[in-house]
Amino acid sequence: MNAPSAQNIERDLTGLWLEKGDTQTQLSGIKRIYTTNLVAYASDHEDGYRVEGILGDMMQYHPGRYILVRPAADTTEAPLRYYVSGRCLSWADPEKRVCCDMVKLVAQKEVIENLYGFAFSILVPDVPVEFWWTGDLPYYSPFFENMASQLSRVWVDSSKFKDPIQSVARLAAFWNKRYPKTNLADMNWIRIQRWQALVAELFDGDWSKYLKDIKQVTIEYGEGSTPLRSLYLAAWLGAQLGWRHHQPRMNDLSKPIMFEGPKGPVEVLLKPIPAPDERADRIFAVGIVTEGEQPAIFTVARDEDPHQVIVRSEINHELAFSRVVTFEHLHSDDVLAIGLKHFEADPVWKKTLQMVGTILVHPDMSLEDKGKA
Amino acid sequence: MPSPTLLENPLRQGLSSGRVAPPCSLVIYGASGDLTARKLVPALFELYEKHLLPVSFNLIGISRSVISDGDFRAKLKEALVKSKPQITDAIWESFSQHFHYLAGGYDDFKVYQALSAKLDELDEKNGTIGNRIFYLSTPPNVFEVIISNLGAAGLAREDKGFSRIVIEKPFGHDLASAKELNVKVREVFKEHQIYRIDHYLGKETVQNFLVMRFANSIFEPIWDRRHVDHIQITASEDLGVGTRAGYYESSGILRDMFQNHLFQVMCLIAMEPPVIFEADAIRDEKLKILQAIRPFDETTVRTHAIRGQYGPGFLAGEKVPGYRQEEGVAPESTTPTYAAIKIFLDTWRWHGVPFLLRSGKRLPKRTTEAAIQFKEPPNLLFKNNMNGLSPNVLIIRIQPDEGITLKFETKVPGMSMEARTVNMDFRYGTSFAEGTSEAYERLLLDCMLGDATLFIRGDEAEAAWAALMPVLNHWETTKPEGKFPNYEAGSWGPAEADSLLERPWRHWRKV
Repeated sequence: MNAPSAQNIERDLTGLWLEKGDTQTQLSGIKRIYTTNLVAYASDHEDGYRVEGILGDMMQYHPGRYILVRPAADTTEAPLRYYVSGRCLSWADPEKRVCCDMVKLVAQKEVIENLYGFAFSILVPDVPVEFWWTGDLPYYSPFFENMASQLSRVWVDSSKFKDPIQSVARLAAFWNKRYPKTNLADMNWIRIQRWQALVAELFDGDWSKYLKDIKQVTIEYGEGSTPLRSLYLAAWLGAQLGWRHHQPRMNDLSKPIMFEGPKGPVEVLLKPIPAPDERADRIFAVGIVTEGEQPAIFTVARDEDPHQVIVRSEINHELAFSRVVTFEHLHSDDVLAIGLKHFEADPVWKKTLQMVGTILVHPDMSLEDKGKA
Repeated sequence: MPSPTLLENPLRQGLSSGRVAPPCSLVIYGASGDLTARKLVPALFELYEKHLLPVSFNLIGISRSVISDGDFRAKLKEALVKSKPQITDAIWESFSQHFHYLAGGYDDFKVYQALSAKLDELDEKNGTIGNRIFYLSTPPNVFEVIISNLGAAGLAREDKGFSRIVIEKPFGHDLASAKELNVKVREVFKEHQIYRIDHYLGKETVQNFLVMRFANSIFEPIWDRRHVDHIQITASEDLGVGTRAGYYESSGILRDMFQNHLFQVMCLIAMEPPVIFEADAIRDEKLKILQAIRPFDETTVRTHAIRGQYGPGFLAGEKVPGYRQEEGVAPESTTPTYAAIKIFLDTWRWHGVPFLLRSGKRLPKRTTEAAIQFKEPPNLLFKNNMNGLSPNVLIIRIQPDEGITLKFETKVPGMSMEARTVNMDFRYGTSFAEGTSEAYERLLLDCMLGDATLFIRGDEAEAAWAALMPVLNHWETTKPEGKFPNYEAGSWGPAEADSLLERPWRHWRKV
């Protein structure tokens, strides 16, 4: 194996493409396409396999340079090794295959902390650089710090946080102060976007007049984990509708979240319902009750058919409308693929995270100092 | 531009779903026809699946066939399931719950009164707040009667919400009929209410002409007569006339493809930058191009326009009949199924640059593209190059395989100084995770949103007809010279088309 260097990696990749061009088609019909750089960090050996699979699936949506950084399985391994691989997408015309590549960096943990410079050196220039931190939010990591402060966007998945309330509260409290030039993105935010669209469409046109009369919102979620997606949805509603959160700050989401709306208090309940483990935290239904001149109930709920949801409203106890729409489960690669479609900052997410910050308890920032120590 | 009714919904703000149509009713005339089942309803379904179709939406189909609401829905479902087999009954029921049908003659005023009452009832029931779109998907000979009856029934008024009319092509049969139709439609609807549709403008790559030209700084400086040798716009089809012989016999390739699709593509390539990205600013610039087409005279109508008709031949190894052998075609028909025309634009930018437009049926494959061929470089340094030097070509592929290719010369690796042409390729499918939308999906949404950018204004339609009339008149009053049919099905058209190229380095592209 060659010594790890940007030059060797590029040379190996070039060799890989020459080989593919010669052996697979006898033609030089390969096009290497890079629309993005995605650097992913997996916290351990096993997670590395999972993340590698997701990145492989991602390539079909966003051909690019994928760099996976993961710790070595044991301390006897070399301080840093690299592996290159390529993926060609199958198109109708075999002479016009579209290919992109992955570089896997396997290193001892202490080496990883200083690996950011090396990761930068193998990026493809002039295309966006995304950084995906796949695990728990670290208290202290030079690798994370350097990547987060120098790249355009950092992806986290709050569903992987070990202490979700504390970690999300920290993100809300410190991200913009510490990394003012770097956009933060949370895969859980992408996961609820279809729920947002479904809830939003309930209030199009004439129905928007009911928004000011909202009194109660119930969000049902799969029990077994902290309902972060439901919290995000509640915070999004509050942020978009100009509600203010009532004190006290919370660390227990089983209690109602109380907002002050334009016509008085609004209660948001996050209600767990029995669900298999793999569906923990998934939203199952959203119910919105208003108390204006004409009482109304607006609901979005999963159907018995897991690929469908039902959107409906009742005004004055009579069905106003109802529609059924397709609702496919999103896998992690789908979520990232959707997220990477838009490069620009998402102001609604920023507002929502600020609202989350007003709902949750203040994070214990001293833990970061302990991490550094 | 978002609808005011949606801006009132703060939950819509910032959603990635983008532009959502406001509540409205869509009335389709000719609803039992092919276009509704094959294009319009699938497009509406795509909008529905993407949450871009408003919750408050009604579709009312109107045609002469006497069928029930249920039969109407069943027919649409049958057609939709062919392209979307995954649709469940629940989703179909939900999507089609506000689909209705009215049977009646287009000249029967009672049908319009019934329609008016039905729309009022649905506004009340489904919250569509008086917004209406009338889509004419009928043969053009009933456009006028429908429009005048809509006016008489008060359905063109915009007292409560908007009222818009979408007119399918062909917009007129010639300049006189287009002018007459414009007069008739404007007696009832104002220009801002009229949406003349050309589905080519709904195609992603056609819209990309604007982005490519005006959102990049590298193309505009070389986009002129000093750098461009000629421009080829090709729309080829491998199919014959199929079941459209009746229509085709009276229209031919010029009316079917040139007056609308190819002229519109030419306009987008040739137009000057509009001062603002708004419908009328863009359409003003397109109009200038149509008005700048150098008129065909007695000579150029012969030398700059070549017609063809396919005879029997082979496509993909299968024997196919000639045009005159197709069902419904007159045995001595001289209807052109192929045309190639050379156009000069009398503008400062394009003076002397030929725009070579061609389209035909039963050509080797279905493809549409525009190729901008740049001038040859002075071949001083590489005189000994074995292959010669090829001019740069920028190719914008409209369908299929949408994308852009730039051909340029590069050195062949090795000891000798040899150059060869290579391609730099951009493909929509590989650079964007999402597929390109169907043209009707985009255009229906634009119409609902009141964005007429991708629709043709009345003066544009007339200018396009005016430019084409000398050729149409000539072809309709003279018999084709020489052998006719003059190209075999499966070939790239008649050899006579080569005469348009003029220069030895110009070749029709084998797309």
